[in-house]
Amino acid sequence: MDKAALLLSLVLAQTPQADLRCVPTGEDFVYDCTVTLTRSGRPLEGARITVGADMPSMPMAHSTRPAKATPGTKPGEYRARLDLEMLGEWAIKLRLDGPVRDLLVLHYEFDSKGASPSKR
Amino acid sequence: MDDYALGVLTNIGLFSFIALSAYLLLIAGEMSFGQQAFFGVGAYAGGILTALYGWPLPLAALAAMALGALAQFLVALPTLRLRGLYFAMATLAAAEMARILFELLHWRRSIDGELAGPDGTQGFRGIRWIFEHGIEPLHYLGIVGVLLALVVGLFLVVERSKLGATLRGIGQDPELAAAVGIDVQRVKLGVAAAAGALAALGGVLYAHHNTYIEPRNFDIMLGVHSLAYALIGGLGTAFGPLLGVLLDIGVLESTRFFQGYRMIVFGGLVAVLLVFRPRGLLDERMVLWIRQRFS
Repeated sequence: MDKAALLLSLVLAQTPQADLRCVPTGEDFVYDCTVTLTRSGRPLEGARITVGADMPSMPMAHSTRPAKATPGTKPGEYRARLDLEMLGEWAIKLRLDGPVRDLLVLHYEFDSKGASPSKR
Repeated sequence: MDDYALGVLTNIGLFSFIALSAYLLLIAGEMSFGQQAFFGVGAYAGGILTALYGWPLPLAALAAMALGALAQFLVALPTLRLRGLYFAMATLAAAEMARILFELLHWRRSIDGELAGPDGTQGFRGIRWIFEHGIEPLHYLGIVGVLLALVVGLFLVVERSKLGATLRGIGQDPELAAAVGIDVQRVKLGVAAAAGALAALGGVLYAHHNTYIEPRNFDIMLGVHSLAYALIGGLGTAFGPLLGVLLDIGVLESTRFFQGYRMIVFGGLVAVLLVFRPRGLLDERMVLWIRQRFS
């Protein structure tokens, strides 16, 4: 393995992983979301997260103003409110700061019941 | 400055490259609906080189620009034989072909058991060069700003040179330009290659700003917007497309209270503007007036 590949493998092993659960608030297109962050299988605590969203085919036109997430009740959990413009597929952007700096992009389908990972 | 403001300003900078690329073709008399393809070529090429092969970003950007220039040169070879709307339609078709090719692109590399790289419609994640090298959002905005200033400076120099006059001459009357001995086809091919390189530079910077790209990022919406930036801002100076991007993103951001309807409001404003100023706000007449007033 060359040096660049070794460096990349170390980086990939430390890349944070994120999971998202969202429930509708009752207000149109507004969802309360819980982000669960892990790194190397362990909860990632103490991160500062802003949560934004773009529509994949219109990344400039349809985007939301990023919201700051607050720590949740369990380790590695963070909560944020998402105010979308419409239902459908959104690319959720999690900008991490603190113990780790990164930008994670998750694709979720939003409907009247909540959000589920996009199937392609 | 908060993350949101930094993100908006960086986006304005990034999309200015594709706007300038559309503008360059417009002043040479060609309307392209396909600049998003070369923006995508740059994004994918730059991302592959840094994320999969560990190239430094500046080197990857240069390689991506060369690829963008080559790609648009090859598209221009047959399509520049067409005129007006036929050329516009051909560029749109070429861009859609490129988007479909991105959907078919699977360039995965196993790194210690983890697969990374473009994965068709699943997109291309983990373009993390700026995070791995500790570049803060404000620094990245500075990099984008400096590169944009260099490009605009180059445009201003070219526009005041014989080459600039040649481009505008070709744009306004290609037959007359040919009659005075200008090799119109050759100049247009050069313009197309330069526009491809410029769009590709924007694409590389966009991919590294977002860490993730997918084929849908490079669809017709981006092509229409890039053309609209130049047409709204004006065709009289290279500051025109920049003004167009600023107005586009600025108006969209400041009309959030219209929620999903703001696109209708924005579209209406663009339509009204183009009725009254078909060559944009900073058109040739306005630029001349400003020069006379301040010289």
